[in-house]
Amino acid sequence: MTATATPTVTPTPEREQLQLPSKPKPSPFAIGVWALVIVFTIVSARRVGFSFTGVIEDLQRSNPVFDGLLNTRWGEMFSSRSRAAFLQTLQMAVLGTTGGVIVSLPLALWSTEVGNPYVVPRLILRSINNVIRSIPDLVWAGLFVLGTGIGALSGVLALFFFSIAVMVKLTADTLDGLDMGPVEAANAAGASHTQMLRTAIVPQILPAFSSYALYDLELNLRASAVLGLVGAGGIGTRLAFFQNRGQWDKLWGLVVMFFLVVFVVEYVSVRIRRRLV
Amino acid sequence: MSATGASPQLGTSPVELPSKAPDWMRLLLSTVFVVLFGWSAFSVDLKWGRLWTAPVDMWRMFRVMFGDLPWGDLDKMAGLMWDSIAMAWMGTLIAAVFAVPLAFLAAENLVGRPIAWVTRQVFNILRAVPEIILALLFIPVFGLTPMAGVLAIGVGSIGSLGKLFYEIIENIQPGPIEATDAVGASSVQRLRWGVIPQVAPELTSFLLYRFEINIRASSVLGIVGAGGIGGTLGDSFRFKEYGQAGLALIVVIVGTIAVDTISGAIRRRIVAGRAVEIGSADDDPMSEVSPGARVLAEEPGR
Repeated sequence: MTATATPTVTPTPEREQLQLPSKPKPSPFAIGVWALVIVFTIVSARRVGFSFTGVIEDLQRSNPVFDGLLNTRWGEMFSSRSRAAFLQTLQMAVLGTTGGVIVSLPLALWSTEVGNPYVVPRLILRSINNVIRSIPDLVWAGLFVLGTGIGALSGVLALFFFSIAVMVKLTADTLDGLDMGPVEAANAAGASHTQMLRTAIVPQILPAFSSYALYDLELNLRASAVLGLVGAGGIGTRLAFFQNRGQWDKLWGLVVMFFLVVFVVEYVSVRIRRRLV
Repeated sequence: MSATGASPQLGTSPVELPSKAPDWMRLLLSTVFVVLFGWSAFSVDLKWGRLWTAPVDMWRMFRVMFGDLPWGDLDKMAGLMWDSIAMAWMGTLIAAVFAVPLAFLAAENLVGRPIAWVTRQVFNILRAVPEIILALLFIPVFGLTPMAGVLAIGVGSIGSLGKLFYEIIENIQPGPIEATDAVGASSVQRLRWGVIPQVAPELTSFLLYRFEINIRASSVLGIVGAGGIGGTLGDSFRFKEYGQAGLALIVVIVGTIAVDTISGAIRRRIVAGRAVEIGSADDDPMSEVSPGARVLAEEPGR
């Protein structure tokens, strides 16, 4: 490197007399965001009563949960009631996912520009989906329990809506990144709108869509495990039961079982998804 | 790139097309799926008869819910929603504090394979538990306080944040790292100058994204007693307080969408600042699904 010999102010007394360009100043946007983040963090910490020492003190006291972990009842993993509850969870996940996936393909198509040329219906559909997306799974379950009564049906319906939220969003985003070539080709060949969707768009997104569907199944399996806390069936019912009675040793057994099920399903699903895309 | 296979079906030309190869994988998967679905639909312990009356039931319920909303409680509920948002934010920060260093330990291009493998298993375990189960377990330890919720969200997010983070880190350009190595940087300096500047914008954007997801989680944690608006929701479900449930629902939806909008705008601005580099996602085999999809795959509710 040739040392530039201009005798200007040098930032460091090094051998090289290199004049570095001055650093760009942080943008007003960056400053604003940082200020916002700091203020927000302080306010939030006050709001939730955040304290490290409190956490450490709480952890030092002996408590039933960790005692329960030490004497986990492994038998709870295989008791007939737990097995039935797990099967129900699995079935709920499969049914809710299937329903949601089937409905969400047309919904996703209708909520994007390429699938739906009309602005107003598209906007309406998008805002409905935003509302659906902002409702957490447990709240769906609670609503359906209120409306249709306690039981697995409210769980399946909750997962159905939850799946729509996930699938429509993911699929619509994929549709936004679509290769427009086939669409133009289909239009040029005189395809009707439906034919165009069928031949130019659906084949393009199908691998991604199937992969999302499997992913959605994983999500739903995890979600359906807790729906029982509000009375919507599945393993959550057992969890709530043990929690109410303070039987943490048995609850841990269930949690471990839940881990295993989630792991197995996720492993299989990830393998299949890799092949799909 | 991906669409080249789809075109031949369109032609009506007399050219004889080669017959399709049998796709055994597809056949197998479809069969498995149909069997699984049939088994679920017929053996599940569920009152299918109710399904047909469900729309009417739900309509009736919504009329009662939104018929007379107790607007007087709005102040209290807005405060509780604010609690939920604060819980989500603090939880996300705690998760980030643990996830960022762990993610460096899980990236195969920075540490060896064995260490990366072990760290990833930790992420997998943490990722598998829903926050609400964590909250269930934390409440006896930390009491019926928002703190239990904060920690549940924090611990629950470490896994998924860490996973996203190490994937980002593994996709960085090797150039700057080689450059830092070439000038004799220590491993800390290498991290500081070779890695962090490359990943910082995306990490920040994912952090915000996770915050949006966590709001959905934190607004239900109260159902098991961990603070926030969920407590009101849970009580109204339990005691069939329709009006209260309706108002809480409105507050949750409005609050969530508001935060989503603000955080989304900031995220887009952060990522747009480096649009040029993002364009290179095309040659990343993992991004086949669509560039943003892997992130979005962590999508709502969880």
